[in-house]
Amino acid sequence: MKYYTIHHHTRYRYDSEVRESTMEVRMQPRTDRQQRCLNFRLEVRPQARVLTTSDCMQNAIHYFDIPSRHSELTLRAQTLVMVQEPDPLPESLEESAWKELEIDAATGQHWDWLTPSAFARPTPLLSEFASEIGFDKDKDPLSVISRLNEGIHAAIEYTPNSTAVDSPIDIALKNRRGVCQDFSHIMIALLRKAGIPARYISGYIFQDSDSMKGTNLSSATHAWVEAFLPGIGWTGIDPTNNSYVHAKHIRIALGRDYADVPPTRGVFKGGAKSELSVGVHIAETEDEDIPQDLLDNGHWTTRDRVEYEGSLGSRAAQEQQQQQ
Amino acid sequence: MAVNGVTTQDETVSESAISLFSNYALDGTIFDEMFQENGRPRLPYQKLLQSILELQASELTQRQQAADLTFLNRGITFTVYGEDSTIERIFPYDILPRIISEKEWNKIDRGLCQRIHAINLFLRDVYHEGRILQEGKVPFDLIYSCRNYQREMRGVKVSNDVYASIVGSDLVRLPSGEFAVLEDNLRVPSGVSYMLANREVMTQVFPGMFGGYGIKPIGHYGQALLQQLQTLTPKGRDATIVLLTPGIFNSAYFEHTFLARVMGIELVEGADLLIHDGFVYMRTTSGLQRVDVIYRRIDDEFVDPLHFHPDSVLGVPGLFNAYRAGNITLANAIGTGIADDKAVYAFVPEMIRYYLGEEPILQNIETYLCLRDDERAYVLDNLDKLVVKAVGESGGYGMLIGPYSTAREREDFRSQIQEEPRNFIAQPTLSLSRAPCFINGHVVSRHVDLRPFILYGGEQENTVIVPGGLTRVALREGSLVVNSSQGGGSKDTWVLQDI
Repeated sequence: MKYYTIHHHTRYRYDSEVRESTMEVRMQPRTDRQQRCLNFRLEVRPQARVLTTSDCMQNAIHYFDIPSRHSELTLRAQTLVMVQEPDPLPESLEESAWKELEIDAATGQHWDWLTPSAFARPTPLLSEFASEIGFDKDKDPLSVISRLNEGIHAAIEYTPNSTAVDSPIDIALKNRRGVCQDFSHIMIALLRKAGIPARYISGYIFQDSDSMKGTNLSSATHAWVEAFLPGIGWTGIDPTNNSYVHAKHIRIALGRDYADVPPTRGVFKGGAKSELSVGVHIAETEDEDIPQDLLDNGHWTTRDRVEYEGSLGSRAAQEQQQQQ
Repeated sequence: MAVNGVTTQDETVSESAISLFSNYALDGTIFDEMFQENGRPRLPYQKLLQSILELQASELTQRQQAADLTFLNRGITFTVYGEDSTIERIFPYDILPRIISEKEWNKIDRGLCQRIHAINLFLRDVYHEGRILQEGKVPFDLIYSCRNYQREMRGVKVSNDVYASIVGSDLVRLPSGEFAVLEDNLRVPSGVSYMLANREVMTQVFPGMFGGYGIKPIGHYGQALLQQLQTLTPKGRDATIVLLTPGIFNSAYFEHTFLARVMGIELVEGADLLIHDGFVYMRTTSGLQRVDVIYRRIDDEFVDPLHFHPDSVLGVPGLFNAYRAGNITLANAIGTGIADDKAVYAFVPEMIRYYLGEEPILQNIETYLCLRDDERAYVLDNLDKLVVKAVGESGGYGMLIGPYSTAREREDFRSQIQEEPRNFIAQPTLSLSRAPCFINGHVVSRHVDLRPFILYGGEQENTVIVPGGLTRVALREGSLVVNSSQGGGSKDTWVLQDI
C-alpha cells in the first residue's frame, strides 16, 4: 500500500482578455477497488465556484465558469491518494478464456471497450504493424497481452513531443515514435481487434530515483491501458514501459480513449490565443494517517521540484495536456 | 350521376362541376380519402363535395389565391437546403381540407398515446437498467451503434422520466383504410405551426364551410404545449421557459417565432443564454434571468460545445453539466434520437408488448434491417421494388424509392448499403392514400400522409394530441414524397365531432 501527495498546477495565459470561460476538469483520482482518493482540492483563479459531478464512467468531474474578463486562469489541484499493489498475475490463462470473452461480448456489457473509438481504431497501418510484430490470437489472452506489450515497446520509441494531443495512431506507427498516449491507443485498438475489452486510463506515475532507471518518461502525467481478463477482471498494462501496472500508477479517469478523459476541457469567449503550462509534483509519503488539515493549512505550496513542461504558443491550448 | 367513376348524390350537377372532376383518378389499389370504391363520397366528405360543386372552379381559384396571399403576407415560409444554396419558399397550401371521422381519430389517438408512452419507457430503460437489451428483445448493438445514442445520458435522471415530450409521428393510410405509423420524430419535430396556420387561413377563406361541420378545435395547441412544458419543472406556472432556436437560417425558424409568440415565451439563440454556477441564465435588458425549461429546437450535437461538437456556436457552453445536475429541463431530453432511428423503429411494436403488455393499436410498416444478413440480401435483390432509407435522416433526404429510381441510383445505394448496412432499412413501396386537391382549376387526387403532434406528459392519460395534425400532400402527380423539402405541400385537417 502506498500513499502519495500530488500537486497538479495548470496555468492558461491568454494574449488578450477572454470572458465567460467554462471548464470541466478531470484530475481527481478514482476511488475503486485498488485505490482510494483520500482528499482532493481544486483551487481556481480567478475565483470561481467549483461544482462536482461525474460522467457516465463514474470519473469525477469538477466544473466551473468565470464570467468576468481575465487574461490568466490557474488551477491548483491537490491530492492525497492511497494505492494498493495489484494481485500478482498468473503466467498465462486457460485457452478457454477466449470462449469466456466471446460469451461476455454477446451480453453487450463491454460494448464500449470492444468497439473502435475516435483515437483507438483500426487502420491499414495498424494491420501492417500487427503482422510485423507477430500479433495473433493463438495463445490465451494474457499471453497475447504480454507479447503485444513487448512488441509495441520494441517497435516504437518513446519520444517526448513527437506527436500532438490529437494525433491519430498512424503518425506514431509511421514514425515509430510516440508518447504514452500513442502507445496506449495502439494497444487498445489491437486488443479490441482481438476481442479483448480494453480501455484507456489517464493518470499519474510516481517515479522515484530507482524506478527512473530503465525508463525515460518526461512527465508525471501518464496514460496506460486496462484489459478485461476472465477470472481476473480489469488488468492494468503499461505499454510505454513494457510492464504491468503496479502501485506506482495512480488512476484518474478511464475512457474509450484520450478524447473521453482530457484533464481539462474548456470554452471561452474572446479571440485570444492561449498558452498553457502544466506542472505536476508527486511525493510518496510513508505516513498512513496524514492529518486532514495538512491539505488545508498551506503546507502544500508549490515546491522547487515542480516541473513546468515548456509552454506552447501556437497550438490549441489542450496541446500540452497530452499524456506523455 | 357519375363522372369518370366519380359519383355524387346530387342529380343536378352542372357541366362545370363535371369538368371540375374530369381529371380525378380513382384506383382500386389506393385508398381514396373522399370517395368509396363505388365512386360515392364517404360520409365525412359529403358536405364538402356539395360545397365544391356549388362553388365551381372560378370561385375555388379565387379562394386559393386569397389563401396564398395570406401565407405570403404572414411570411409563413420554410427553407429548402440545396447543395449550393438555400431557398426560402412559401409553404404550398391546398384549400380542400382532409377530413377524418371521430371514430377513426379515436383509434389514432389511443394508438399514439400507447406508442409514445412505450417509447418513453424504452428511453428510460436504455439509459438506466437496459432490461430490454439484456433480455434480447432489442439488440444492444443496434442501440449502442446508433449515432444518436448519448452514452453520457446513462444514469442521468430526466424530469418526470419524460424523454420525448414533444413528438410528431407520421402516419399513412394503407389500401385497407387502416392507418399505420411510418416513423416517429422524437428529436425536434416540426410542422405544428403549419397545422395551426392552415386552420387559420381556412377559416378566413371558407368561413361558411365550418358552420356545416362540427370540427374539433386545434387552436389550444400553444397553451397545451406551454402547460406540458410547465409540468416538467416543480416551479410549474412560475417557471421561466424559453424556446432555443438555431437562428434565422433554420428551415423551421418561422415555426420557432410562431410558437414562442403563441406561448408568450422568449425566443432565444445560444448566445442569449449563459451558464453560471451550474444554472442557466438568459441575458435580458434588465440583467440575467434564471431559466427553468428550454424548449430546444437544436439537435443534441449542437446544444453544448463543451460536450458535443466543439466547433458549434449554436448552443450554450456548459449546458450539459447544468442539465446533469438537474438545474435545467430540456424538452426534448438529450438522447431521444435513438428511438427515431429508422432501424430501431422496427422494434416499437415489441416495446409496446414488453413494457405495456398490450398489442399495438397502430401497426408499423414492415421493415427490413440491412444489418441482418438475410434481410439485406432480400433488400439488395429487390432494390427496384422497395423504399430504402438511411436510418438517421429525415425530411425525405437519403432515400431511394425503388420503382421510381434509375439504375445508377440503385447501384449507388447498393454500394452504400454494403458498406454500412447498419445505416439502412427498407420498406415496401407504400400506396399512400390519396385525397382531393384543387390544382390548376381541377379537383385531382394526390398522395397524403398525416403528422399528428403528441404532447407526452409522463402517462398515457396525461398525453395531449390536438385532433388532426398536419396533412402533407405530394403535390406532383404520382409522387409519393410529401416532405416540404421535396416539393410537398399541406392542407387543413379536420377531425369531425361524432357524425
